[in-house]
Amino acid sequence: MRVKVNPLLCTGCGLCELACGYHWDEAFSLISSSVMLYRAEEKKNYMGVIVKTEEDLFIGRPEGAAAIKLGELSRGGTGGGASAKPILIREACDLCESTTGEPQCVAICPHGALYLE
Amino acid sequence: MDSMYYGDTLIVDLDSGTTEEVDFVEADEAGPGLAAGLALYEKYKDADPIIFGSGLFTGTPVPAACLGFVLGRSPVTDELAVAPLNLFAGSEMKLSGFSMVVVKGTSAKPAYLWLHDGVADVHDASAFAGMDTWETTDAIRREMGESMIQVISIGPAGEAGSKLAAFSINYWGSGDTAAIGALMGSRNLKAVALRGLGMLDADDPEEFYTRSLELFAFARKDRGFAALCAALGAGDLDKWLEPIAHRARACFACPSACFPFVKYNEAPTVMESSDVEEPGMLVTSPSAALWLMDGGWEPEAASRALEAMAREGLDMVRGARELAGKPLTDLGQITRAVKALEGFAEAAWPSGEPAPAGLFGAWTPPLADADAWKLANMAGYVLGVCPTYLMLSEFDLEALAGLCRPATGVRLEIGGLADMFG
Ligand code: SF4
Ligand code: SF4
Ligand code: SF4
Repeated sequence: MRVKVNPLLCTGCGLCELACGYHWDEAFSLISSSVMLYRAEEKKNYMGVIVKTEEDLFIGRPEGAAAIKLGELSRGGTGGGASAKPILIREACDLCESTTGEPQCVAICPHGALYLE
Repeated sequence: MDSMYYGDTLIVDLDSGTTEEVDFVEADEAGPGLAAGLALYEKYKDADPIIFGSGLFTGTPVPAACLGFVLGRSPVTDELAVAPLNLFAGSEMKLSGFSMVVVKGTSAKPAYLWLHDGVADVHDASAFAGMDTWETTDAIRREMGESMIQVISIGPAGEAGSKLAAFSINYWGSGDTAAIGALMGSRNLKAVALRGLGMLDADDPEEFYTRSLELFAFARKDRGFAALCAALGAGDLDKWLEPIAHRARACFACPSACFPFVKYNEAPTVMESSDVEEPGMLVTSPSAALWLMDGGWEPEAASRALEAMAREGLDMVRGARELAGKPLTDLGQITRAVKALEGFAEAAWPSGEPAPAGLFGAWTPPLADADAWKLANMAGYVLGVCPTYLMLSEFDLEALAGLCRPATGVRLEIGGLADMFG
């Protein structure tokens, strides 16, 4: 089971990042969040969502979704992967194991861009 | 009221290039958000400051809690006026560690204010003088090595003191309809750059979060542009832009996403990151687009005109109104026509009508009657929630205000808002 991303449904609101931050810190912050909205290529309106797990990063970008091993990313990676580096120092997704019901990020996403599979 | 707010009030003195943090105890009495901003203006009014502020919930998971503001004396009306900090600017400001910033004085040379992670610095912006807002945003991001910095900047129009100047948020213009951009220019303040990974506490975080999620359950969730057009009685605006529309984009925490992105330098169907660096424009002003559509413009040329106005740092609504009856298609002509708007110097709208007076200006679209519109603006700017969203979604303001107690430990009554505004 993991959190997956349908990036073309994402509107870039950042709520998933904030909800996951709350899951870790019980406060509102992005610093620990296991999910990151990728919005570095703003002029191109290019957005994606990245979820960090213990083993890999699930990168949901408009050209398709893929899992990249953490080692590959720290060696340089490619494309959106390289600019995902800040997430490497964050917590790994635990599927909100302490929460009953849906994981926080899935529950808050207004457009169904995140789902469990 | 420490919860939800972050640190003390920052005082920036552009005369000396120095900053200091002060304890603004009067904020507890004045109220949060814009109410605190107005009290701060009063306290420092001898300096006629520009105040950058955020609302109570800005930066938290409350529906559409993206809103910050810039407050200052409008060079157009000579009255206090407020302009919105939406997209990610308001939330980034709060998370940078500063919820209220009072800017006094005039810098001897172009300067920009850099707020990040609880640190405030005034930087030399001489190298950015004359740059448009796109160039300024890119230059600051390059200088700081961070592509997610939010940049509130002015372009040549603001530097020249044009009555049609507006600040821009990153590349996309803003809802500044009071020439706050010219006010920034008169102080030699080229930009304010924001980045932060701070943390906001609530008095009772669990209750605050749970009740916020309940609000989301009832919140309007859609691609809000079509709804906004319909509510404005301009349903065909959405259809007009459709052939060049790319993905819709939302402001921070907004479930509605009322901004369409349009592509005219590559096919709108291109979703991947291509080598076209500047494929189009985010349409942040439906009113401006509407003026151009009604004025006979083609969507692609109109979008190029919006881009040109955002680059120059011009108010897109007033600019579009002036350009409306003169549809152009040639890029050179569009660029020249937009540049010519800068020379506009009268204290009136280009069409000759009086400028919209009053604190809230003309950004928030008229989606409700005058009383409800004013209430949405007061609630929005105090609580940090987009007033357009509040009206579009017919939001329950009492339920929203009900979050104040778990947020701060203090109750706030919607009925008491008017008192905060005197
Ligand atoms: S499932 Fe929970 S821990 Fe994992 S990314 Fe979502 S909110 Fe974070
Ligand atoms: S909450 Fe959903 S729409 Fe918002 S940024 Fe996350 S994935 Fe995108
Ligand atoms: S309604 Fe539009 S302007 Fe308001 S927060 Fe949402 S996307 Fe931004």
